Amino acid sequence: MSPGADPPAPALELEGVSVRYGERIGLESFDLAVAPGEFLALCGPNGSGKTTLMRAALGFLSPERGRVRLFGHAVSELSIRERAHRVAWVPQEEPLREDVPLGEYVLYGRYAFHGPLDGPTEEERAQVEGLLSDVGLADRAHDGVLSLSGGERQRAILARALAQATPLLLLDEPTAHLDIGHQLDLLDRVRALARTRRVTVVAALHDLNLAARFADRLVVLSRGRRVADGPPSEVLSEELLARVWGVSADLARDARTGVPYLVPHLLAPSPPRADSPFAGPIHVVGGGGAAAPILRRLTDAGYRVTTGALHLLDTDEEVAEALGLPSAIESPFAPLGAAARAQHERLLAAARVIVVAPFAVGPANLANLEDLRAHVGKTPTFLLRTPPLAARDFTEGRATRVYAELLGGGAREVDDLPALLAAIRAELERSGAGPGSATGPTG
Amino acid sequence: MQSPDRGPARRPWSSRRSALAALVGGGALLVLLSALLGSVPIPLVPGLEILLHQISGGLLVPDPCAVLPPHAPSCATLTVIVWEIYLPEVVLALLVGAALGVSGAALQGVFRNPLADPFLLGISSGGTLGAAVLYVFHFEEARADLFLPLFAFVGAVATGLLILAVARGRYGSVETLLLTGVAIANLLTAVLALVLLYNPFGGEQVTFWLLGGLGQADWEKDGIAFGALLILGTLVVLYGRELNLLQLGPDVAQSAGVDASRARLALILLASLTTAVAVAFTGVIGFVGLVSPHIVRRLAGSDYRVVLPGSAVVGAVFLVFARDVGYLAFPGSALPVGIFTAFAGVPFFLYLLYRQRRLAPMGAL
Repeated sequence: MSPGADPPAPALELEGVSVRYGERIGLESFDLAVAPGEFLALCGPNGSGKTTLMRAALGFLSPERGRVRLFGHAVSELSIRERAHRVAWVPQEEPLREDVPLGEYVLYGRYAFHGPLDGPTEEERAQVEGLLSDVGLADRAHDGVLSLSGGERQRAILARALAQATPLLLLDEPTAHLDIGHQLDLLDRVRALARTRRVTVVAALHDLNLAARFADRLVVLSRGRRVADGPPSEVLSEELLARVWGVSADLARDARTGVPYLVPHLLAPSPPRADSPFAGPIHVVGGGGAAAPILRRLTDAGYRVTTGALHLLDTDEEVAEALGLPSAIESPFAPLGAAARAQHERLLAAARVIVVAPFAVGPANLANLEDLRAHVGKTPTFLLRTPPLAARDFTEGRATRVYAELLGGGAREVDDLPALLAAIRAELERSGAGPGSATGPTG
Repeated sequence: MQSPDRGPARRPWSSRRSALAALVGGGALLVLLSALLGSVPIPLVPGLEILLHQISGGLLVPDPCAVLPPHAPSCATLTVIVWEIYLPEVVLALLVGAALGVSGAALQGVFRNPLADPFLLGISSGGTLGAAVLYVFHFEEARADLFLPLFAFVGAVATGLLILAVARGRYGSVETLLLTGVAIANLLTAVLALVLLYNPFGGEQVTFWLLGGLGQADWEKDGIAFGALLILGTLVVLYGRELNLLQLGPDVAQSAGVDASRARLALILLASLTTAVAVAFTGVIGFVGLVSPHIVRRLAGSDYRVVLPGSAVVGAVFLVFARDVGYLAFPGSALPVGIFTAFAGVPFFLYLLYRQRRLAPMGAL
């Protein structure tokens, strides 16, 4: 159906696309080529640029820099009507406020095929009937759209978009408001229809497990950039989830299909009472996303957590803010200044336990390690040793020397998160002469 | 626009055709009977005979004045009253009602807001101010009938564009939109009252312009209004498909191929112009544009390809009814018709306002 499309041209192509909303980054030098026939899922946390990407592809916004092409044609040079012949859109939800019959509603998708005076043809009506039966709504054609349930409504929107008969279909969180049964049903239908009609699909999906199950290719966005791209089985990892979402999870694999799936760790029971020995804060020194899984896990376990000294807009900083943790903050990319270090010092002094995340040490944050030297003797301190410091020392060995001093001063190394949690619990039970594990967190 | 077969979802065509026939017949009867209603009572039978004689150009009914010699003087007077005063008034009511109805439907569609109406958004007041300025300064002696709508255009379009800017702006919620409209309408009304009352000859005109009257009607004004509304109304009605899609939000509409900003601008301009034609000859008449689209939706569904022309028909009938109610309730009077549309419209507005709280939140643009 694509008018004049060269066979090799990507269905959707972004080349160095940058979009900004004032100070906030929508997309940053983004490149992407979607091959015809692909089912591509876009994943990423809120505000990572998924919707911005779709809006750029639909021509709703014009990028500051870069080019967006549909089947080889620059979106900005296509008329609104020409775009409607190439790409259709299924939004997260559509405000259906007028109770028109479902069949008529689906015919709205044929707008671009008509002038102001000609109505839909018999052939189009037959097509609409076919579409409705494809989405499982054949017997509802005469019902008003307001009588549809949530799942039916989303399928109706899909039918309306498919009525545009475009070679490319964009779906923006199409399952956001559906229960699990309807989520599976809708995506199953999208995939089947995409295959039979040879439609290229680009879908923004919140649920990584759904994305892994249905998409041929998974593109992960974080803060306007592409941070992972490939088949779901290659892209999904615990590390990715911690880095991009700040969530700790276990990766498993469906025994029958081999499709990977993620099991996020459960939230812990209620936080400890203020007077319990576990109430004293655990301070996590981090940066660059290294602390995010630790922050999440400790908070989940019910500990009071502080963190620092972090750079603004750093992944760890964003996770800390999302979790509402007290933290010492410095401006992006600047060396840690006096104010941030003083703030950090106060948090370190208040901590019952200090945890040092395996963060990459550069000149800008070396002070984070140096400032610990005054505390290792007084406060139990745990250093995570994977990945090894050698791989993340960008200070020409200065960090390695400080690290050795910390170990010499009484800090202990732990292998991983579970080991860390066990060590913290043991430490608190040993030092807290109070009621012991009865009120302690169990995570 | 509408093909005869709109799918089996609709009632069978034959029943729709008979409904249409009943509507046309009922409408004709309403017009004829209404033309016998006015501040001076007209006897039914001679009145009808005069009307039919005049309408058919003497072909259908012989001149009643010729066959009724005893009534000769009053018969001629009756003819003048019915043919030169009442019928033009009824025709103007039909045209103005249709104009306000179709503008209301277009504005409700554009703003996706069931409470939009040219009166409540201040567009009627803007148009009236434009026309009244012309009237007060006695430009009307120089072919004012044609200039009245032109001046009204300026006032109405300026107000319409202002409302659009408000709706697009940062504070463009339903509430701000309506309240801004009400505020603008009040300001314009004050300016209008000032202009009229400051002018030594304007005082008597205040009620006419502010409450809306059909008393200025004559065949020439009817002709101008008919010509202008035929063009504008047709253009508005052609936007039915765009309005249907705009109800799904500007983004969805655009993804389906509608140039949403252009369609919105065109519709607001057309609705403002249509309103201007109406108020140029009658002053501010409220609530016709609010009520009519809702009645159509209730009767014929929410498809704007039906709602737009349907609102014109219902608006026409509504305004003629309002005129008739005024004359029937207060015989011998000539009260502004806007009083009676408000009596019907305000309770309806309140009903919609409170019902809306139970519905999904309505967005502005």
